[in-house]
Amino acid sequence: MGKKMGKKRQKIVLPPELPPEIPDEAVEVSDEDVQFVSENQEYTGFMSNLDTKTINKQVTRVADVKEDELESLYERRLKKKALDKETEKQGLEVDPVDALPVKTLDGKLHYRTVPKATQKSENEDKDEDNTNNKDAGTDASVVKRTKAEKRAQLKKMRKEAKKHSKEVAAVEDVEQIPHAEVLDEVRKDMTAEEANEKKKFRLAELGTALLTDPELNIKSLKEMLEISKDGDRDIVVLALKSLLAVFRDIIPGYRIRLPTEKEQEMKVSKAVKKMRFYESTLLSAYKAYIQKLIAIEKQDVYKRVAVRCICTLLEAVPHFNLRENLLAAVIRNISSEDDISRKLCCATVKSLFINEGKHGGEATVEAVQMIADLAKAHDCQLHPDSIEVFMSLTFDEDLGKHEAQDASSKFKSKNAKRKNLKEQKVLAANERKRTRKEMMSKTLEEVTAELKAASLATDVTERRRMQTDVLSAVFETYFRVLKHALKPRSEAGSSPELAGSHPLLTPCLNGIGKFCQLIDLDFMSDLMNFLRKLARSGNDSDGSSKDVSACLTVSERLQCCIVAFRVMRNNLDALNVDLQDFFIQLYNLIIEYRPGRDNGEILAEALKIMLCDDRQHDMQRAAAFIKRLATFSLYSGSAEAMAALVTLKHLLQKNVKCRNLLENDAGGGSVSGAIAKYQPYATDPNLSGALASVLWELNLLSKHYHPAVSTLASNISMLSTSDNQIHLSNKSPQQAFKELSLEQESFSVKVDPKNSNAKRGKGNASLKHNSMGPDLDLTVQVDENAVKSKLSEHYSLLHDIAENERLRRELAETTLSLNLHEQYKKQRKRRTK
Amino acid sequence: MRPLDEQETTQVFEKLHKFVGNNLKNIVENPSHEGPDNSPGRYCFRLQKNRVYYVSESLVKRATNIKRDNLVSLGTQLGKFTKGGKFHLTVQSLGLLAENAKHKVWLKPTSEMSFLYGNNVLKGGVGRITESISEHDGVVVYSMSDVPLGFGVAAKSTQDCRKMDPNGIVVLHQADIGEYLRMEDDL
Repeated sequence: MGKKMGKKRQKIVLPPELPPEIPDEAVEVSDEDVQFVSENQEYTGFMSNLDTKTINKQVTRVADVKEDELESLYERRLKKKALDKETEKQGLEVDPVDALPVKTLDGKLHYRTVPKATQKSENEDKDEDNTNNKDAGTDASVVKRTKAEKRAQLKKMRKEAKKHSKEVAAVEDVEQIPHAEVLDEVRKDMTAEEANEKKKFRLAELGTALLTDPELNIKSLKEMLEISKDGDRDIVVLALKSLLAVFRDIIPGYRIRLPTEKEQEMKVSKAVKKMRFYESTLLSAYKAYIQKLIAIEKQDVYKRVAVRCICTLLEAVPHFNLRENLLAAVIRNISSEDDISRKLCCATVKSLFINEGKHGGEATVEAVQMIADLAKAHDCQLHPDSIEVFMSLTFDEDLGKHEAQDASSKFKSKNAKRKNLKEQKVLAANERKRTRKEMMSKTLEEVTAELKAASLATDVTERRRMQTDVLSAVFETYFRVLKHALKPRSEAGSSPELAGSHPLLTPCLNGIGKFCQLIDLDFMSDLMNFLRKLARSGNDSDGSSKDVSACLTVSERLQCCIVAFRVMRNNLDALNVDLQDFFIQLYNLIIEYRPGRDNGEILAEALKIMLCDDRQHDMQRAAAFIKRLATFSLYSGSAEAMAALVTLKHLLQKNVKCRNLLENDAGGGSVSGAIAKYQPYATDPNLSGALASVLWELNLLSKHYHPAVSTLASNISMLSTSDNQIHLSNKSPQQAFKELSLEQESFSVKVDPKNSNAKRGKGNASLKHNSMGPDLDLTVQVDENAVKSKLSEHYSLLHDIAENERLRRELAETTLSLNLHEQYKKQRKRRTK
Repeated sequence: MRPLDEQETTQVFEKLHKFVGNNLKNIVENPSHEGPDNSPGRYCFRLQKNRVYYVSESLVKRATNIKRDNLVSLGTQLGKFTKGGKFHLTVQSLGLLAENAKHKVWLKPTSEMSFLYGNNVLKGGVGRITESISEHDGVVVYSMSDVPLGFGVAAKSTQDCRKMDPNGIVVLHQADIGEYLRMEDDL
């Protein structure tokens, strides 16, 4: 304050109003004046009120008094100017506390000055809008409010500012007292709401200041943290978000390591000191912030905000200190019931997995291990999303090769060395000297080469180690899920409604399918065992396994089969293993499949992988599958039927012997093997004796209401036993299924009204079918009229037939009675004769 | 000719179980359809001169007419009891085993001949193998065109087979259809 006074005094001395110092006696009062006074006595009233003492004082020290007066005058007049300057300065370096009350004086003024100041100092913000945005952005940058909201907020702020600008006017007189005190007083006067407004502005200021020059303003982080401890919810949220924005920008691209005591004792240059101070402040503030976030995350009110902040931080700066805490919080929420926070967490973890370069892969290891622990702790009752994130993991399969190469090269170099040594011994003594130089240079080269190799190798081994960790954690989780799915219901958990469900099984199976080429061969047998048990789990034929989680759906069991085949396919090219058990399961699952309930695409995939892609089949098994697929396509929807028929055709084309099924004469004898009769209820395809039967289903199918199915069926029945050409169908069951299931929505049953008699039965069948599938209701409505007319025709015909029969019966009765009457007459005549 | 006693039955069934697993039920309950009776009879096991036969009931009835010393064979021979009291399956049982086999190995055409000369099956000769064979399980050996060639005992589980080198033994030879030529007199 003193400094400012000095400034003002210097200015004040200059003005010309200063009256000259004249002795009292020298003052001459003119006659006119005396007269005026005497005439206007009333005007002189003020003379009596005059404080003579002060006047005397004034008389003695005129200049001083004048200066005092002037000062207050100036104070008032120049206030704006001075404060303007202050704010400008504050934008640059001054502790911002002083600037605060100015803004409360006049809200509008504040709004113009702050952006200006930032504009001047930053030179980055392009236009005012931008700065405004940024201003608001520090409070709300992350929220991404809509413009309308923002505008409303601004309006509110302005109104309030105006309101208390009046109030502050009253306090204006006290302005001479230091700003901080004024601030305190004003604060006391203000209502809580206004205080909140102030805090918002403060946040904005601090935020921009920090972003402008983080090194200078690093201390204001603490103030922002203070604000975030406020009781008001909005303020806390804003504070957290502005802190997030700040941290995201100022956190360096390296991990901060606090200096040890030894290092602190050492003498360092000023710059280093400054840097250390900056880093330690930043780190402590960051720590406090994260602790706050983690603490607040447990409260329901703040949960989403906290989770959002944590996720954004983790995504932006996964390399920085305290990552573990952030990660733990994220993983904790990865299966939360709240959709938004769960999605956020999942996205964060996925981005961690994908952008491994940001953190060198360590975060991936930690995250995966944490998820594994989470699954363990919750007994696999998590949301599927939490396991699904594993799908975005990537593994570099070339790592092993690099290492192997290095090892071999190392080995070679060692060998070379040994050889050198041997040669050295062999060399004659006189030659030694000459060769020593060569040897030196050679060894030097070798050493450098080895060094290089070693450094590279450590890097690779490190990465390899991390990958191994990740993989083992991932598979640990997968195996846990599989094991859990195998558990009987009674053991599965305390809550009964959760016990039966296996939410994680589907993503787990998907994951195994994706990473199966990475499974250790030692695990393979266990994995296959699990899959076999799971696939078998719903099978009633096995008494022991019936109670073992019979709740697995057909789709899930089909998926087990698919995964098993994938695993085998990807790993074991060397040995062709026949997965008999899974074929048995598929054979039974085809029957259990229900079009509405189960996923047809999975079935199509299973058919493709298990039946179409596999190279060889037993004749018996192939025949059994052919028979079963034909049966299946009789009672399923057109899309499923199509997929089944495509598979059937494929099988028939590959297994020439099975074409016996197409012959009209039931086989049997030596061809059909031990089982002389087809047994439709056999659970094992090998024991069904399907070769002894005939594919009569194809004949029915060729009258299928769907033209594609009927043409394919008649095509298949044309395949002759002698025709040995192999023209494999280019369509896979999956494609066929997809095409038809898409088409199904638009497909309507075309009925030819002309030959309605011939098609009647079929029309009825299709009607029944349509009413089964809810997605086909549309087509039913479309055809309603046609169907109505058909039905009426049908019933009238039935009625006619009934009528006809009745009439015939009557006719027969009358003829009979007539005959009787005749006979009676004849007998009578005879008697009379 | 007499039915098997308790101990012999266990021995026979244990041996068969190694090859056919739960399909043993099918072997025992298989209807025979032999003879003039309308009701299909069952098959049963009979012992004649240390050899075990799988015979339909109607055939057994007829065979009682023949003196024990004069009865050379009846039905399908399954195996024989050795002098030490152990039960061995013989090649004649191959048809029965092949129908109900649980564990199968398919041979590449190149290695069929070697197996039919009585050699073990090496990994290099295996064209295909059933999953989940464990060590010492009974395995039926087929040609690639599904013709049963013989049977044996698995030397390694399917898992271990993967890691083996091509010269490792997968199936230890017990019987093959080559015996019909090689050991014509003993059969």
